Amino acid sequence: MVKLSVNAIDAGYGAVHVLSGVSLEIRESETVALLGTNGNGKSTLMKCIMGLTPVTRGSIVLEDDEERIDLTTKSTQEIVALGIALVPEGRRLFPKLTVHENLLLGAFRAGARTEMQRNLDRCYAAFPVLRERSGQLAYSMSGGQQQMLAIARAVMSSPRILLVDEPSVGLSPMLVKQTMDMIGTLKRELGLTVLMAEQNFHETSRIADRGYVLVHGQIAFEGKNLQELLHSDLVKRHYLGA
Amino acid sequence: MSLELLVEAVVSGILLGGFYAAVSLGLSVAFGLLDVPHIAHPTLLVVGAYATYALAQLGIDPIAAGFMLMPAFFVIGVGLYRFYHALFERRGGDIALRGLAFFFGIAFIIEVVLILVFGVDQRLVEAAYIGSSVQLAGLQMPSRMLIAFALAGLLTLLLSTYLSRTFTGRAIKAVAQDQTALALMGADPVRIKQSAFGIATATCAIAGALLIIVGPVEPGMGRLYIGGTFCVAVLAGLGSMKGTLLAGLILGITESLVLTSLGTSWAPAVSFGLLLVVLAIRPSGLFGR
Ligand SMILES: Nc1ncnc2c1ncn2[C@@H]1O[C@H](COP(=O)(O)OP(=O)(O)OP(=O)(O)O)[C@@H](O)[C@H]1O
Ligand SMILES: [Mg+2]
Repeated sequence: MVKLSVNAIDAGYGAVHVLSGVSLEIRESETVALLGTNGNGKSTLMKCIMGLTPVTRGSIVLEDDEERIDLTTKSTQEIVALGIALVPEGRRLFPKLTVHENLLLGAFRAGARTEMQRNLDRCYAAFPVLRERSGQLAYSMSGGQQQMLAIARAVMSSPRILLVDEPSVGLSPMLVKQTMDMIGTLKRELGLTVLMAEQNFHETSRIADRGYVLVHGQIAFEGKNLQELLHSDLVKRHYLGA
Repeated sequence: MSLELLVEAVVSGILLGGFYAAVSLGLSVAFGLLDVPHIAHPTLLVVGAYATYALAQLGIDPIAAGFMLMPAFFVIGVGLYRFYHALFERRGGDIALRGLAFFFGIAFIIEVVLILVFGVDQRLVEAAYIGSSVQLAGLQMPSRMLIAFALAGLLTLLLSTYLSRTFTGRAIKAVAQDQTALALMGADPVRIKQSAFGIATATCAIAGALLIIVGPVEPGMGRLYIGGTFCVAVLAGLGSMKGTLLAGLILGITESLVLTSLGTSWAPAVSFGLLLVVLAIRPSGLFGR
């Protein structure tokens, strides 16, 4: 069993304090939503888990059977090697490399290299448009295709835990739906555990099991299941226009 | 210009172009792929030439010497990058300008050391293929230029295969585009750049051997090659190895034609002139993505 737990962390950028005392938990094969409007710290939390932003207090622990690993002492490379992958905000593809080259880079970590061909087949099967455009440079693709590539590139690293940061940004409502469905499908087929930061509550609720609401860098609400989230006053106020 | 003269000029331009490509491949990695303003690259070529000279004094064939020197040059490149990274790159700021100053300083120091060790006189090496020439399709071709051309082709092939077929190679192509994204793939961007810089410097061992095979060298010679190598690297479209070979050929042919028709005094103007024309028409270089 894997479990990722964030325990009362503080984090920020120099003098700017962003997260204070944030705790959350992601258990194996769950899809957990991290909701919050602009600037509330969703991306910062994702970057803390990946070791890209330092944590000033608290711990982030990956529990794997009997093993407990504190990620706050690990480098990004070590965290990726543990099977955690992030689809970053803004996709961050390698713009002047081809679709195929972007995917192969996803398999850089030692543990993913032996499974590269199998993962590549999976990705091309899940996103046929990527196969059709495998020789195209990433920057020249549409927003929706770029988002697919970003997700596929993360899948190429054979992750156990997949973090996805606002996949719906800049996509049409129809593409948002497709993207969410695809994340749901990949999760089921690959047995992933997913933490997804989103502002689009409605679409997120279609695949999430439960969720947290982040307000001003603190967890303002924790929904133990989808119903609790749906009926939360905070969610109603911020996301459902009630 | 008669047709015969024209053909001769083009053929010798092609051979010269192969040589230009060979001396520019390392810069295409360091500057083209890594964005490091490596103005000391031509000086490292001269170091390669002098190291070849030193080995040749022991009776080692210059080309063999070039290959033997590659591992040592790889290590020098790694060391140079670590130094640059620790002192400059890591601290951020206006890295382009400060990097330029750093590598200019390095070039200057190396030049002084070369003068202290080898003196200011020209040095050359001897080998059977250096004075001889080959008769091909009615044209007289110097063997040393044919060798330079062949080695340029080999190096280009090796580098482009390495960059597209290996995990580290692909990471080298990606690292300047988005370091954070590369870290998220599980690669350490600093180590990737370090390897790339080692590879770029290792090419200076062979290219330096070619430099002293093609003609005598002197410590300050690196400065003469700044224009040519940067012209080729930019023309190539920053980071394309096959583009570097083609860009080298274009520079070689252009220079040869200009020299044949206008005279040798124009030589220094050709590389920068060509660079300006290309940048005006196609800023991303001729073969860039
Ligand atoms: N590199 C940085 N340096 C300084 N402040 C930053 C930096 N990145 C983010 N911030 C600040 O931290 C706060 C939280 O930002 P974060 O990106 O984590 O929010 P978010 O919930 O992901 O928002 P969004 O929905 O816009 O992506 C914001 O006030 C932002 O201005
Ligand atoms: Mg964000």
